[in-house]
This record gives sequence, structure tokens and C-alpha cells, in this order.
Amino acid sequence: MNNITSKLTAVAVSVFIAFFGAASFAPNDKAVIPALTWDNTTGGSFGKEFSSFAAQHFAFSDTWRAVGSRIDSKISGDIVNGVYIADERLIAADISEREDAGKSAAVINSFAESYDGAVYFVAVPTSAGVYGDVLPAHLSRVTEKQQTERLYEQLSSDIRRVDAYNLMKMLSDDRIYLRSDSKWTMYGAYCLYRTVIQKLGSQPVSYDKYTIRHVTDEYCGDLYRRTLYMKNEHDILDIYEYTDGAQVTECISVGNDGSEHECSLYDASALNSDDMYKLYLGEREPLVRIHTDVNNERKLLLIGSECAACFVPFLTQHYSEITVFFPEYADRPLCEFTDPNYCEQTLFMLGIDSINSEKLSMIEMR
Amino acid sequence: MEYSSLLFIYGFFPVSLILYHITPKKLKEAAMLVLSMIFCSFFGLEYVLFIAAYIIVNYTVSRLTDVLRKKNAIACFIPFAFGMVFDIFALFAFRTERFSAVYTTLRLHEAFFPVGISLFTLSALGYLIDIYNGRVSSEKNIVRYSLYIMMFPRLLMGPVLRYDAFTRIMNSRRTGINELGKGLTLFIKGLTKKVLAADTLYALYIAVAAYDTGELSAVTAWLGITAYILCLYFTLSGVADMGVGIGYCFGYRFPQSFNYPMFSSRIRYFAAKWHVQVIHWFRNYITKPFASQMKSRYISKLIFIGAWTAAGYWYAFTVSGALWGALMGTSIVVENKLRNSRMLKATGIIYTFLLVTVFSVFLASDTVSDAFGYLLAMIGGNRLLTDTLTLYLLKSYLVVLLVTMYASTDLFRNMLLRSRRMLLRKVFSSLTPVVMAALLAVCTALISSSGSSEMLLMKL
Repeated sequence: MNNITSKLTAVAVSVFIAFFGAASFAPNDKAVIPALTWDNTTGGSFGKEFSSFAAQHFAFSDTWRAVGSRIDSKISGDIVNGVYIADERLIAADISEREDAGKSAAVINSFAESYDGAVYFVAVPTSAGVYGDVLPAHLSRVTEKQQTERLYEQLSSDIRRVDAYNLMKMLSDDRIYLRSDSKWTMYGAYCLYRTVIQKLGSQPVSYDKYTIRHVTDEYCGDLYRRTLYMKNEHDILDIYEYTDGAQVTECISVGNDGSEHECSLYDASALNSDDMYKLYLGEREPLVRIHTDVNNERKLLLIGSECAACFVPFLTQHYSEITVFFPEYADRPLCEFTDPNYCEQTLFMLGIDSINSEKLSMIEMR
Repeated sequence: MEYSSLLFIYGFFPVSLILYHITPKKLKEAAMLVLSMIFCSFFGLEYVLFIAAYIIVNYTVSRLTDVLRKKNAIACFIPFAFGMVFDIFALFAFRTERFSAVYTTLRLHEAFFPVGISLFTLSALGYLIDIYNGRVSSEKNIVRYSLYIMMFPRLLMGPVLRYDAFTRIMNSRRTGINELGKGLTLFIKGLTKKVLAADTLYALYIAVAAYDTGELSAVTAWLGITAYILCLYFTLSGVADMGVGIGYCFGYRFPQSFNYPMFSSRIRYFAAKWHVQVIHWFRNYITKPFASQMKSRYISKLIFIGAWTAAGYWYAFTVSGALWGALMGTSIVVENKLRNSRMLKATGIIYTFLLVTVFSVFLASDTVSDAFGYLLAMIGGNRLLTDTLTLYLLKSYLVVLLVTMYASTDLFRNMLLRSRRMLLRKVFSSLTPVVMAALLAVCTALISSSGSSEMLLMKL
């Protein structure tokens, strides 16, 4: 390398680094630097937190990530940042072997043992489970089907199970999952509702009685945010309204500190936020209590993950009171929020990707 | 903090470079030490405390050994032996899982790993042996000694230097815009190796590794292990190049560790170009001292193979890794015997690459039986030549494999060197700044999602 080349390289690269370095790490009121705590300082997690902070606040980060995705998809065969880019959708391509769900099954069994009413369980597959066939074989070593079967085998015989996997698989040609996310659409939730509600002892409301409104066609899901891949169009979010049916008379969310706020089945303000999926049931709180004008005194406890949020509107036609508990958002056990035995039925509706969450222990009654 | 992270490239590196250059000349080494401490602190306070304690123990032991050696040859053995045992124990305690009691006793986090311990242990041991043998005097300046162990451009991948070589480099510091240009070029070259080549090859390797060896078709197994050895080369040499490049920017001209070993025409050439300073360390401190005592040529050769076995064990800390070293050492000995064989001359590059690839199965496997299982798959023992996975991997990665194979050779460099008076050289020179900025941009885009490229394939 001659001297002129060295000098020019030094100038070109230094200017590049200086420009993006200054644009990224200049003091900024909005950027909240990770807090230094004893634990994260000694263990080294502060370094990782700071590094991911740097990535989040890197200048033009969205453009960089979009370019990175393009390059990655060209050189790594359609897999970008752990997401497989299929023709019609993005699919989470998690190569890691999924953990055994034995611990979660034990927690659910223990709940059922202490509970006086009937317990129902639905493991909801993700889009990767339903559309996983298109993934290269090495990316789908343990399928969600196998994982669901293993979990169901470990559940106590008193718990009534619903086979959501095969049902969703059968309907996979319909628009039951979002294309840019692993979550289902409200139509997907409706399809499962028809089966679940019969198990729970009611007849489903027919599809034509609902008025369906497309509230946005700009939904960019989690998988999109991981890749910023523009090939597939954005998703549509729907809301289902049954004007002649039962109406919600009260909807209260309860925070970890016990504070109560009014909420609604559909929160339009979420459409202006980063996570439009919070359209369903609004900002997540550990507990939501819903009263309807159904005059049957039936009470349901729904213990769910994110996917349960857009399932709730369908249940309101059948119960006078529904209590929804999201273990993922709870800091204290369910029994400190409400008495589970107050409801005669409990429905577990957990996404297969959240079955092994540590937070499931929040449902333990002992 | 990795060299290949946005935080390092756009934050720590430029800021530390500016701070270092505005520091008065007398305080530059102290400034480098402070910067290295800050760099280490990103791995956690535990790491900083560990490395500080490690330095204090080694510094004290080396001073005592030196002082006692001048007075009483026998007495100096005590601190020397203590230092050796301490360093080797620390290496085993943190690189194997057999000493979990150390974590409990010291109340360390489970995830704690002293980054670079394999490399700085070699430095510390070599220095202690050199003092004991009277080859060098102990360093009185603890700042410089600390830099020998933990200077951040050398911390992650060396080079492992003898203390006198390190001192020479520290004393002949040369800064300027030319050094900065050369350093940045080397750094970006290393970054590209790591982010563009190694990370892509790793995806291919883990796609194959996700299967049981009993299910693999022969071609898939070959693809997987070829990806592994290339990935290992690009990872180690990429991080090493980045470190050397950073050193250049600070004015320290550390030697490079890899010299295009992958497509050598002999195993011994491969060995001479692979992780040069590490292999030299095993030659200087194991082969030479022991072999020189032996009259029998056979025993000398056994010692040579033993040193390679130790090197293999040092890489992987498994029996399988040691077997890799033993096979490498043995093949060099056998090759030297067959030096004039026509067959060897005709098949040089091919047989070297094949042997290196086959041997690397032992480096990649956790156990010897896993390695033999994999070798069985490679020779078609699973009665499968190809399958759908093979086709998918070939479709997705064949171009990557061919390009990285070419990039691992010195063909391009030689083409430029031989065309000294031709237009090509001038064109390439004039394009270098733009190419470097473009490569930096590509690497930045690729690491922008996660913020860094952390895959290291093996923890050294």
C-alpha cells in the first residue's frame, strides 16, 4: 500500500466513522442510556445492554437494517436475522431446539388440581408452526405439532384440550395469520372460537352476524421489524362487531400496583403507537375484568398470552363476566388479583411460543 | 465489547484514538492502560478485577523469580513454579467445566468467562519461563507489564508475543496518517472477514450441525466441515487482523497471525502460516527445549507431535481437539519423510486441503466418538450421498463457499504484487479508499440489527 493510498484511506474511513459516530452518539434528550446497577456492572450485562442501546440509536438505523437485510438475503439464502423470507409471508426461523414443556405442564396441572371448576387448554400455534412446511428442513427440527402433542400428553386428564394446531393447519389457505408477524388475525381467532366455544358449552355466533371493519392496512409486525424487508405488503387489522348481540357494559384493567383503569375491547389509539396489535384490549395490564349484558351469570377466567387479546371479543357473547389474566405482564400471582374459583370455567389460551415462559408460575395458587 | 460492534467501531475506537493522541508522550502507555481497563469493563467488573489480580500475581512472581535467580538459582524455582501452576490452573479452571468450585468460591456469575485467557496465559507463561531461563529481565514498570497482558488491541486474539518482541514494538511506536490508513485498512479487512465471510459460513455450518451425524448425507457432511474450517479461519484471522489494525492506528506495529494458510501446498506450510505466534509459542517453549535435550531423532519427533497435541488441546480443551493436534503433528512428520514423493508434488494443494478439512472434524467435535461418527458420514457410511438438505445448502451457499475459498488464498494479493508496473495495481490503489469505505458500510449494515457480530466459534 503506497503512502497516497494510505492517506486517502485514512481520510475516507475516518470521515465515514466520524460522521456516523457523531450522528449516533451525540448527546440526545430522547435516548435513555441503560442504568448502571450492581448486578449488570459486575456480570457484564451492562456492556451488552449498552451495545444494544448503541444499535438502537445508531444514525439512520432503519436504513442500515433494511440494507443489511437485503445483503443478508442475497448471501444467506432468504434467512435474515432469524426470519425466513417466504414468497407470501415472513416466518420466524428459530433453529434452537425448543425446551421441554414439562415444567409448564406441571404448573398448569397444579392449578387444575386446586381449582374447583372446569379447565380447558388451547395451545395456539404461531405462523411458523402452521406455515413451517416451507422452511428448510434444518430450521424446523421440532415442529410445533410435536411440541403441542408433548405438552398435551403431560397435562392432567381433568384438563380438556382443544387441538388448535390441526384446525389452523386445515385453514392455512385462509388469511388466519398476519404476513409480517407470527400472530394470528382476528379471523384466525374466530375460526378457533367456533370450536372452543362449543367445548365450553355454547353455540358460536355465525360469521355473517358480525360487521367486519378494516381499521388499518399499515400493520408492520414483529418479523417485519426484525428484517425491514419490503417484499411483502403490510397487513390489515380487522375488528369484529356484533351490533345486535350482547354488549360490554364495563371493561376495567388492573395494574400490578392494583390501580384500575377503564379500557375497551378495541383501543383505536394503539393504531398511532409502535405496536398496533394493542388495538385488541389496549395497553397490556396483568388483569382485565369485562362485564357484559348477557344475562346468564356465567363467569370465565381466561389465562392467556398475547394471542388471547383478539379472542376476547368473541367470548363476550356468552358470558356475563370474563376475567382475563396475562401472566407475562404480572409481577404478582393471579390469586392476589382475583380469586380464580370465583369463575366456574378457566380457559388457558397460550401461544406455543410462550408456553415455557417463567411467568406462567404466576398462576400457581399455592 | 467486540471489535465488530457498532459501539466499538463508531464509539470506543475513535474516542480512544483521539484521547490517546492528545495525551502527552510520557503518559501514553498509562493512557493505553486506562483505555484497556475501560474496554475490559464492558465484559463486567468481575473481569476487570480478575485481570487486575492476574496481572498483580504474575508481576510479583516474575519480579521475585528474577531477583532470586540472580541470588539463588534454587530459591527462584519456588515463585516460578507457583506462577506456572497459578496460570495453568486459571486456564483450566475457566476453559473447562471441571472446576465449577472456582465459580462458587469466588461467587462469580455463571456466564463469566475471562475473554482472551488462552492467549494471555501463553504470554504470561512464556514471559515467566524466559525470566527463569535468564533470557529476559523482569519488567519493573507495572504499566508496561499490564499492557503486555491486557492491551486491548491484543486482548481478543493476540498476537502472542515474546516479551522482548513486545518491548521492541512498544519502543518503536510510529504514528502518522500513513499508519492510520494502514491500520484502518487492516481493521476493515478483518471486519469483512468476520462479518461477511465467517458469519455467513457459520450459518451453513450450524445448518449441518443441527442434524445428528447418523442422518447426514456424505455431501452435506463435507459441506458442513468445509464451512467449519473456513469459518474458523475467517473468524480467528478476522479478529486478529482487526486487533493488529487497531494496533497500527495507535502506532504499534504488531505482526499478523495468519498468512493465507488454507490452500497451502504442504501441511507444513499450512502449519507455518496458521496462527503463527501461537504455533511458535508451542515450538519455542515445548518442542525446542525438550527436543534439544534428546539425542534420539525419534524421540524428538515424538516431542514435536506432543507439542502439536498440546496446541490442539489448547484450542478446544477436549480430547478430540488434542487428537487434531496429534494428527497435524504426525502428518507433518510423515510429510517430511515423503518430501520428494512425486505424488505429493502433484497433489499438493488438494491433499493439504483435504487433510486439513478431515482433521478439523476432530476440532469441531466435542468427543472423539462424535468425530468418528461425522467421518463415517463423510465417507457415505449413512448410505446417503445427497439429500434435499444438500441441494438446499448447495443452492444457498455454493457461491459463498467458492468466493470465501478464493478469498482465503493469496491469489488476489499475488496478482497485484506481480502486476507491479501494470495499470491494475494503480487502479486498485486508487480504488482502495472507496472500497474500504464501502466494505465498512456493508459490514455496518449487516451488524446494524444486533449491534455486533459476536459469533467466535471457539472461546480463546
